[in-house]
Amino acid sequence: MSYSLTQIVLFIVAYLTVLFGVAYLADRGTIPKKVTHHPAVYVLSLGVFAGALATNGTIELAYNYGYSFLLYYLGAVMMFVMATVLLMPLLRLCRIYQLSSLADVLTFRFRSPRVGAAITIAMCITLLPLLALQIQVVANSIHILAGGANFVESSGQRQDGLALLFCIIIIVFSILFGTRHVSSQHRNTGLVTAIAFESLVKLAALFILFFASIYGVFDGFNGLNEWLVQNPDSHNILDKPMRGDSARGLLLIFFAGAVCMPHIFHMTFAENTDSRDLQHSSTWGLPLYLMLLSLPILPVTWAGIKLEQSLPLEYTGLAIGLILGSTQISVAAFVAGLSAASATIIVTTLALANMCVNHLVLPLRGLQIDPDKNLYTQLKWMRRSFITLLILGGYIFHLVIGGKGSLSQLGLVAFIGTLQFLPGVVATLYWPAANRKGLLTGLSAGLAVWFIAMLLPIFSNFEPQSLSFLYPTWLEDTESVWTAAAMLSLAINTALFAVVSILTPAHAEEVIAADICSMDDLNRPARQLLSLHSPSEFAEQLASALGESAANDEVSRALTDLQFNSDESRPYALRRLRNRIEANLSGLLGPAVAHSILNRCIPFRPELHEGTEDINLIERNLDRAQMKFTGMAADLDNLRRHYRQTLNKLPIGVCSLGRDGELLMWNRVMENITGISAPAVLGSLLDSLPQPWRDILTKFAAGEEDSVMKLQVGLNNSDDKSRGLWISLHRAAIAASADTDSASAIENNEDRVILVEDISHSELLEEELIHSERLASIGRLAAGVAHEIGNPVTGIACLAQNLEYETEPTEIRHMAHDILTQTDRVSRIVESLVNFSHTGSKSGETRLSPSNLADCVDEAISLLQLDHEAKPVMFNNYCDRELVVLADSQRLLQVFINLLGNARDACQDEGQVSIAANRDEDLVTIDVEDNGSGVQPHLLNQVFEPFFTTKDPGEGTGLGLALVYSIMEDMNGSVHLKSPLGEGEFPGTRVSLQLPSSAYTEDFLI
Amino acid sequence: MYINRALLLIAGIAFILFPMIEEWISHSGSQWYRPYQIWLLIIIAAYWNQRSRSSDEL
Repeated sequence: MSYSLTQIVLFIVAYLTVLFGVAYLADRGTIPKKVTHHPAVYVLSLGVFAGALATNGTIELAYNYGYSFLLYYLGAVMMFVMATVLLMPLLRLCRIYQLSSLADVLTFRFRSPRVGAAITIAMCITLLPLLALQIQVVANSIHILAGGANFVESSGQRQDGLALLFCIIIIVFSILFGTRHVSSQHRNTGLVTAIAFESLVKLAALFILFFASIYGVFDGFNGLNEWLVQNPDSHNILDKPMRGDSARGLLLIFFAGAVCMPHIFHMTFAENTDSRDLQHSSTWGLPLYLMLLSLPILPVTWAGIKLEQSLPLEYTGLAIGLILGSTQISVAAFVAGLSAASATIIVTTLALANMCVNHLVLPLRGLQIDPDKNLYTQLKWMRRSFITLLILGGYIFHLVIGGKGSLSQLGLVAFIGTLQFLPGVVATLYWPAANRKGLLTGLSAGLAVWFIAMLLPIFSNFEPQSLSFLYPTWLEDTESVWTAAAMLSLAINTALFAVVSILTPAHAEEVIAADICSMDDLNRPARQLLSLHSPSEFAEQLASALGESAANDEVSRALTDLQFNSDESRPYALRRLRNRIEANLSGLLGPAVAHSILNRCIPFRPELHEGTEDINLIERNLDRAQMKFTGMAADLDNLRRHYRQTLNKLPIGVCSLGRDGELLMWNRVMENITGISAPAVLGSLLDSLPQPWRDILTKFAAGEEDSVMKLQVGLNNSDDKSRGLWISLHRAAIAASADTDSASAIENNEDRVILVEDISHSELLEEELIHSERLASIGRLAAGVAHEIGNPVTGIACLAQNLEYETEPTEIRHMAHDILTQTDRVSRIVESLVNFSHTGSKSGETRLSPSNLADCVDEAISLLQLDHEAKPVMFNNYCDRELVVLADSQRLLQVFINLLGNARDACQDEGQVSIAANRDEDLVTIDVEDNGSGVQPHLLNQVFEPFFTTKDPGEGTGLGLALVYSIMEDMNGSVHLKSPLGEGEFPGTRVSLQLPSSAYTEDFLI
Repeated sequence: MYINRALLLIAGIAFILFPMIEEWISHSGSQWYRPYQIWLLIIIAAYWNQRSRSSDEL
């Protein structure tokens, strides 16, 4: 039974067309999203791990090494079961920084385009045997099907023409599959679905072979068991596993392959859209799939032995079909190899092409992407070219090796080659001290050993046994060569990597990247400032590198991703925008080129590179992360939340500032006081706050005083609440070191915290108290006032009676004059009272103006003298009549009323109260002195406190001196009290007031 | 890094029991699919382990 070449080629094209149809329908959405995005599809797509080595090569391994063939699967099983060790941290890196290949990851970690280029070149070379293996399987399978069992005579011949034909077909389909999306940010749904479909096809084909072997060859499971009992030699192939070191070496090789092989890396990370698929489904799903895939291998191998088939062991499946004369079995065996090989080639070349473009072409061209042409189209064509070159490279390698080496040997060459990247991957996640020099040195040495021991013997007559002085067991057998090559290359690689990394310093950028890669929280950039201030400026600058259209697209995409507006200007937001653009470009152009473009077009301001950590970003990430912290991490997170809540709910406004004036905190009370929401200002500069807060906070933050006790805020809106807004401000520096005091921290321009207290309520209360006190004073004066007014009124009444009978005009005029004099007196008294009662109305505004000090004192004295029930004391006003102070005269009157009233109360009858003033440059000092009982020294600190009084109950409110203090502070003055002045029973008291001096302006004088 | 403690425990137990498992698998006259029984147990353990972790940890 045989098939014509045309039939087989048509079958291949038909199969790949079906595959393309699946991808096309998935991309178009004809296949529902709930299917294409189902975790099972992702898990099945990871089945790309099982290439032609799984469908064909493992039969040879099973025959030669018994159960040890399972190590091929168990390496990958270990990697996925322990996904949290390597895969999850890598996925986190890849997702956040849009890294789509191992070269991207290592370039990002070691911050060097040279690393990317070296990894890419090394990867291409190590993968050539794997590509050649796939091509060889399909070409030989075609030949066997076309030539039937006669292949036995031509097994040594190369099927070059068939291989080339297959390569051409697969190039076309790889291009169709792989280059639909240019950015790794978008999941290639079609590709994932098609590869998952291929995995199912592969599994189904192998199960057809399984059942064909069990029921077609052994007549059922019992038949198989009986045959094994009758043929102990065949059963015993299971009992000749590899030596322990070889088995462990093989396990390590395939373990590393599950993360280092570019096609597996691509499907695992670049095509992952939900980490749960990797973290959950694949940890058991992929092991289950691989177990099912490996289940048919032993029965198929035994069936081949029983049938005494003469084909190479790798093609046992085909042989069974041909010997049994079953088209279905032959087709199934062919399809198993074809689907495995095509999936591996398509994904491998796609991944390698991306690496070549991002790490070889773009960096080498010095970022000279033609801005006039569409960036995305240019990238697509580059990738297509590389896919073609790589498949042809695999074909040429297939020609060069000339059929030397079995499938398992070719596979092992490739897997041991990629094993050399494992130290880099592990160091990326777990060793921050590693550096690029160490990586490149170790990798070069490891690859050199691999080249000599593994690759060279395949296409030359070189025998690795000649190097047995390096590895004594090298001479024994092929198994020893693999083990020696793998272990020796890895040991040299790791040792050199470690030694060179320890001995040579790492670049500053590498250190930052190492922190990012090895920390749990990936976004820990320092808070740096940008020279640009808006997204439109970003696009403008990026246009020089990407072209105008692509630059606008990338900026818009990043804005959409972050849900920012296009007029965003907050530094915090712009930093995030820059990071997002870099991540997106990294997915498009690779991390090295993206980093370089961003550094060139959107650089950070160099003077602020030593910025503190971006608290906003860290907090945001911690809040958003749904990790289950355990142990101390959980305790720390709880503490963080507790302190955060404490600060947020403090009944006082808290805002903290970075050294560049960026707002790092804005708590709820701050929101209430200012009416500005936290999300609107966090991450902004202080300069961008709306008025009047911008001026208030900027001046206070930059000023010399650490506290402002009282400040009225002038708001534009005219509602009642804002009209009377009074605040007090306090400031402290958040020193980086606990030993630094606040003053030097301020000088060093450290971060600062500003407390804003709303004292409007107490201010209102104070005003009301002042008013009450005033009314109380008026009440106390009422009797005196009645008496004062009563006398002139009586005089007026008498004069009016006399006037009734007076006829003499001269006398009448005289009387009228007397009446006017008396009414003037009444008017003055009434006016004084009215003035006093209106002193400092509820508006609370202090209007400072030049005020004559002596007049003010006189008025206070005359008001106090209205109270006839008070002690008769002598008030002596010694103030200079020309002395003018800057004060609110009405409030100053209240001050003197209170002070002189207190002085009078403290004196005995006929006591003396003197008021004197002198000017010292810009200040006027007014001393109010009495010879009263004085204040006891231990009470001096309390006299200015509200409600403190030494008078008997009912005689004093205890507000007098507190109001004096408050009013003097409002008028930019001060008050001090000294007592006793002398000795004896009446030592006296002196209250000294200080006020700014002033002079009447011309307007005033006129 | 958040390495699952259950996973470490399983790996430790597997390491300790490895000689017994190996002997059990290669016991003469044993069924050829014995290794798959162990494999199945690993799959069940992995499935059981992931059930308790349902959040997206990225």
